[in-house]
Amino acid sequence: MKLLTTFKLACFGLWSNRYRVLSAMMGVVIGMFAVIVLAAIAIGVKDTLMKQMGSLGAEQILVLPGRILDSADGQKDLLSGLTSVPSTLTYEDAQAVEKVSNVKTVTPQLETVNFVEYEKNKVQSAVVGTTSQYSRIQHATISQGRFFTKEEQGAKAKVIVLGNNIHDSLLGKNQQLEDQAGGSSESAKPKTWWKRVLDKLLGENVSAAEVSLIGKNVIINEESYEVIGVLAPNATLGSSTDNNVIMPIETALATTDMKNLTRMIVEASSLDAVDEVDGAVFGALAENHSEIDFSVVKQDQMLGALGKVTSILQVMLVGITATALLISGTGIMNVMVMSVRERTREIGIRKALGATTFEVMMQFFFETLLLCIIGGAVGIGLGYVFIEIWNSNIEIFALVLPFWAVKLALYTSVAIGSLVGIYPALKAASMNPSKALRFE
Amino acid sequence: MIELKDAQKHFRSGNLKSAVLRGVNLNVKQGEYVAIMGKSGFGKSTMLNLLGTLDVLDSGEYKLTGKSVHKMSRGKRVRLRNEEIGFVFQHFQLIPNLSVYQNVLLPLTYGRKRLGKKKARVLALLDEMGLSDKRNQKPDRLSGGEKQRVAIARALVNEPGLILADEPTGSLDEETTESILGLFDRVHENGATIVVITHDQEVAERADRILHLQNGVLV
Ligand SMILES: Nc1ncnc2c1ncn2[C@@H]1O[C@H](COP(=O)(O)OP(=O)(O)OP(=O)(O)O)[C@@H](O)[C@H]1O
Ligand SMILES: [Mg+2]
Repeated sequence: MKLLTTFKLACFGLWSNRYRVLSAMMGVVIGMFAVIVLAAIAIGVKDTLMKQMGSLGAEQILVLPGRILDSADGQKDLLSGLTSVPSTLTYEDAQAVEKVSNVKTVTPQLETVNFVEYEKNKVQSAVVGTTSQYSRIQHATISQGRFFTKEEQGAKAKVIVLGNNIHDSLLGKNQQLEDQAGGSSESAKPKTWWKRVLDKLLGENVSAAEVSLIGKNVIINEESYEVIGVLAPNATLGSSTDNNVIMPIETALATTDMKNLTRMIVEASSLDAVDEVDGAVFGALAENHSEIDFSVVKQDQMLGALGKVTSILQVMLVGITATALLISGTGIMNVMVMSVRERTREIGIRKALGATTFEVMMQFFFETLLLCIIGGAVGIGLGYVFIEIWNSNIEIFALVLPFWAVKLALYTSVAIGSLVGIYPALKAASMNPSKALRFE
Repeated sequence: MIELKDAQKHFRSGNLKSAVLRGVNLNVKQGEYVAIMGKSGFGKSTMLNLLGTLDVLDSGEYKLTGKSVHKMSRGKRVRLRNEEIGFVFQHFQLIPNLSVYQNVLLPLTYGRKRLGKKKARVLALLDEMGLSDKRNQKPDRLSGGEKQRVAIARALVNEPGLILADEPTGSLDEETTESILGLFDRVHENGATIVVITHDQEVAERADRILHLQNGVLV
């Protein structure tokens, strides 16, 4: 069989009809672009949620204020059953939990929103009071300086660790945040998007001056704190530590009016002990509370809730893929059928000069297939570029392009091409040469 | 070479059936040069399509180089037509997207005949036709005479035994007509069988024999 010849003819056919072909290709390009970007968004959101909820290790237990209602199947319904009541959890509760057997660590967290000031800059931030375990439990890495110690906790030392954004803003590097906070420094320019891309590519801060607040004092609510560390950027949806300032919980209780915990993370000494600790923690807390106005959640319960979110995303993705497929598929089929009609005479000539039915069929089949594959590849490429640009500019959450999505998009374009290519190919192949030659 | 016996062909448009060929008999010997004349719409192109195996008879018999075409499978007909027949169609029928070179190459693209270097053969033929400098042009940039020479080059590229030409001088001036007819003479001298359709008496007289298609039969 002269498959290679027909393939070459198809390449040539596409090339010589390139302007019309381009418009047909747009459908696939946009379709595949959408598939890639949406997959990346879906996976990105899922990963971010995973990081947030699932950052709870298997041996960790989360204690939240408020009571989570049970859903119909008797499970804790984390998505819609979360009641919002003022927290009644206290540092004393945390200390009580610490005494429960098989509890390795307890990381209580106090949280409030307040202004942080340094010289002329004033930035709004989430002030967190917690223990020295925080950076490990929250996967927050230190980029400069150090985290506070247990000793500093005990001494109620007025030391503070700044989130990456807060640190930059206090130095006047981040104009936007400052404007929101009513800052007044006009000297610093915001980074342009390409500078940020460069920063990302080179893995370092090209544009920022090498200055640091380590050792300097910042003011919160008229109290002065020494900066001892800066957290590395940690961009996740909702729970980023970038806009946090963190101080020892003892210091926070003494110097601010924060009293009730927003949550605490309990770490069991081993995986086997989790279930036992789960019950014991609940018991210990119940002793201190007159009613059950708190919830104790294990990782598997978290993951169960996450499963719901991801299945919604998956359904969305399948729906969008199917729609993109349908639109680009019918578009290509129309163009190819039109092309076959317009090239009736060409088909007649080829057949008269010795092209077999099979050869004509394969030529047009390959044309459609190639059209879809090229369109798909371009769409995937554009999607990739979009994701890269997004990731180096937008920090709410990172888009993740999994390899399977690329493969899926590519296979999908091959599948559309094959499916949609059959009809025009058969139409071309079934033409009678003597009639085709008479076509005006 | 050609043995056509009681060939009939009709076309149906709606429920109207019109007989175009009503029992054509034709015998053309190997190496013969035959001209067929007839008024417009009398079925000359229809007959040439049948001779060229582009269409099939409704009834009758057709043998080409001793093989019964009317009994052949479609695949065999395609092969036979590619290897044995060179077409010069009415209205050139060049593919507009392809260059002169690519148009001439077409029969070799689909052929299974081994003719040595395909590219060299096409280039030599274009040179012979005085089309060397036009080989990368698209057909719409050529004059009528040049288009016809491309069409003839394409008909000859596979070295077919039978040349079927439909109005090869239809819209050409005298000088160009003469050069085309000269080409046919040379091909004929080299042993090819030629069937040419024309309404021009002078063109017809260059052939060994002139036949007239009238009322669906050859006389
Ligand atoms: N595929 C077809 N379907 C229907 N009618 C056809 C078909 N092919 C030919 N005809 C009809 O058959 C008749 C003969 O057509 P044909 O093209 O053979 O004439 P012709 O002798 O070559 O004319 P001309 O000198 O104008 O080229 C015409 O009436 C034409 O309309
Ligand atoms: Mg005709």
